[in-house]
Amino acid sequence: MTGAFFLGWRYLAFHKLKTTILVGSITLMLFLPAAVRLLVNDSATALTARADQTPLVVGAAGSPLELVLNALYFHAEQPPALSYDNFSELRDAGLAVTIPMYTRFHSRGSPIVGTTLDYFSFRDLNLAAGRMMGMLGECVIGANVAARHKAGVGDSLVSSPETVFDIAGVYPLKMNISGVLAPTGTPDDNAIFVDFKTAWVIQGLGHGHQDLERPQAAASVLNRSEGMVTANAALQQYAEITPENAAEFHFHGATGDFPLSSVVVVPPNEKNGALLRGRYQNNAKGIQIIVPSSVLNDLLDTVFTVQNYIILGLALLSLATVAVITLVFLLSQQLRKGEFLTLSRIGASKTYLATLIASEIGFVFTGSLVLAAGLTFITRQYALQILQIFLGF
Amino acid sequence: MSRIRNTLLLTLLALAACGETTAPGDRPADSEHRRPLIVASNYPLYFFASEIAGDSADVKLPEMAGDPANWKPGSAEISLMQSADLIILNGAGYEPWLGWVTLPESHLVDSSAGFSEEFLPLREEAVHQHGPQGEHSHQGVAFTTWLDPSLAAKQAMAIEQAISRLVPENAGQHRDRLAALSARLETLDQAFRETFDRLGDQPVLFSHPVYQYLESRYSLNGVSVHWEPGEAPGTRAMLALSEILRSHPARLMLWEEEPLETTSVELRKLGVQSLPFHTAANRPDDGDFFDVMEVNVASLLLNCCGTTIGPQQEPE
Repeated sequence: MTGAFFLGWRYLAFHKLKTTILVGSITLMLFLPAAVRLLVNDSATALTARADQTPLVVGAAGSPLELVLNALYFHAEQPPALSYDNFSELRDAGLAVTIPMYTRFHSRGSPIVGTTLDYFSFRDLNLAAGRMMGMLGECVIGANVAARHKAGVGDSLVSSPETVFDIAGVYPLKMNISGVLAPTGTPDDNAIFVDFKTAWVIQGLGHGHQDLERPQAAASVLNRSEGMVTANAALQQYAEITPENAAEFHFHGATGDFPLSSVVVVPPNEKNGALLRGRYQNNAKGIQIIVPSSVLNDLLDTVFTVQNYIILGLALLSLATVAVITLVFLLSQQLRKGEFLTLSRIGASKTYLATLIASEIGFVFTGSLVLAAGLTFITRQYALQILQIFLGF
Repeated sequence: MSRIRNTLLLTLLALAACGETTAPGDRPADSEHRRPLIVASNYPLYFFASEIAGDSADVKLPEMAGDPANWKPGSAEISLMQSADLIILNGAGYEPWLGWVTLPESHLVDSSAGFSEEFLPLREEAVHQHGPQGEHSHQGVAFTTWLDPSLAAKQAMAIEQAISRLVPENAGQHRDRLAALSARLETLDQAFRETFDRLGDQPVLFSHPVYQYLESRYSLNGVSVHWEPGEAPGTRAMLALSEILRSHPARLMLWEEEPLETTSVELRKLGVQSLPFHTAANRPDDGDFFDVMEVNVASLLLNCCGTTIGPQQEPE
C-alpha cells in the first residue's frame, strides 16, 4: 500500500505548477479567515485591556475616538486642545488623581508625551535603567525607542520640527535621556516621556536666556529704562536645558491658557467618578469626559461587524474554491484514465487506485494546512510590520 | 471612511501592544513597611508638618543654604522630593523652581491655596522686553505668608488635611496636634499685636520686601528697601534712603538677619535703629519656629517698643 502513497507523492512532485496552485488556493482559503479573526481578536483584547485600565479621560469637546487614540495610544491626530486652567480646575476639585497629557510633538518618528510622574505610577511603568526625569529638558524613553535609536541613559534626542518650513515655529529641543523604561508590550514602549512643561518649551511657549539684570548680559541690552529692559538680537537663547541654565527658563503669557491634549482621570472610587462625569455632562464648558472602554466598545462593535462581513465573504470564496478544486480533481481523473488502466493491467486493485487518488488529495490538503498554520503563526509574530508595509504607517 | 481608517489604526496600535509580551517589571523593593515621607519647602512648613504628623510620618527639610525662596534644588533634592509621599509647598510664588523641576503633581500640597484671595501684590514690578513677546514683567504676590499667624494657622490646617488623607488612621491625633499648634499661633498673634500696638503709627523701614503680611496684619506704617544684611548699602542706596526718610521719618529698620556693623552705624547716623526680625524661613541654629518668633518679640520690646525711639548718639 505504501507504493500508492509513493506514486501519489511522485505525481504531485512531477506536476509542480498544478500542485502549487492547488496548495496555494487551499492555504489561502484556510489562512485568511483565521488571520482576520486573529488580528481582530488580538486587537480587541489589547485595546480593551488598556482602555479598561484607564477609568476616565477628559478632553476638549470633539471626537471621543480621537481623544482616546491620542490619550491612550499617543496617536498623531490632535484632538482640540484643553487649557491648563481646565486641568487645574479638575485637579483642585480633589475628586481624583489627574494626569495631564500633551501629545503633539515627535522625535524621529516617536511621539513625545508630555505628562507628570503620576503617569508612571498609574501605568505601573518601571525603569530598566537610569532615573525618572527630574527637570525640564530631561526625558524617559520607552524600551522600543531605546532599541530603535540605540539610545540609552546619558544620550540625547532632538525634537522634530512640525513641518520642514516651520522656521519661526517649534524650536528643536535637545532632550537628555535620564532613564529607559522596562518593556511593557504597550504603546508606552514607543514613546518619549517628558514633563508637560518641556512640551511647552518645545512649542515655544517657554524659553531660557541670560538674565538681563546681570552684568554679563550687558552686550544684549538694547535699552534699559526705569523698571524695563529691552534686549537686542544678540541675546543668547538656550537650545538645550541643563542643570546650570534650567532656572533661567520661563514661560510667557498666562500659563492657565497653555494647551494640553487630555487629562487622564483616576478617581479613587465610583462615587467620585460619577460626580466628575456629572460635572461635565453634555460637554459642559466645552469639555467632554469619556469612559475609554465604552468608546472602544462602540468601535469594536463596528470592527466585529466588519469582521463578520469579511468572514462571510471569505466563506463564500472558500465554497467557490472548493468547487473549483473538486472540478480540477475530477478533470484530472478524466485525463488520467489511461494511466489508471495501465495500473489496473499490471495488477493494481480498485482499492489501490482509490488510495492513490486519496493520497494525492491528502498530501495537498495536509501541505496546505501546514502552510496555513505557519502563515498564521508568522502573522501573529510579524503582523505589525506587515501592516506597516501595506498600510504605509 | 474616517471610521475605517481609525479601525485600521486601532488594529495597528493594538498589534503594537501585542508584539511584546514581557510583563511589567516589579517595582523596586518597596514592600517593606515604612513611614510616609513628607518634604517641606521651607522651615515654617517643616515645623508645622512635624508638629502635626508626630510619629505618623518622616518629615524632612532639604538642605538649603540661605533663603529657601532663592533655593535651586539639585538632583539629590529632586530625587528626595520625587520619593516623597507629600511635598508641602508654601505657594504664592514662593517656589519658582516648580517651573523647571518635575514632581508628581498628586503629591504636591499648596498650603496657601485656600486663601489666595488674601495674597498681597508685590509693589515692585520688574518689566523687561526681548524678542517677539514684547514688554512683560515678572510680577507676583508676596510670599512670606507665615509671618501673619492667622495665615500660618490656615497653612497648618491645609497641612493637617493632607497628612490626614495620607495617614487616615491617625487623623484624630493630627487634629489634636493641629489644635495645639493653632493655639500657639494664636498666642503668637496676640504677642505680635501687643508689641506692634506699642509701635503705633510710627514709620518703620524694612530691609527687604518680605514683611508685607506682618505689615498688613498689624497695620504697620512701613516702607521696604532692598538691602542685603551681608552687604554694605553703598552711597546711592544711602542717598535713596535719605530721600525716603524725608517723607517717611522712620527710626527703626527691621532686618531678616543682623546687618553689618558698618551698616548699623551708618543708619544710626540717620537716626535709624537696626533690629533683626527673623522670618525663620530656614532652619534656625537654635530653637524652633516659636522660639525665633519669641526672640523677635522680645527684641522689639527691649529695643524699641518699650521705649521712645530717638536719634542715636555716635559711638565714641
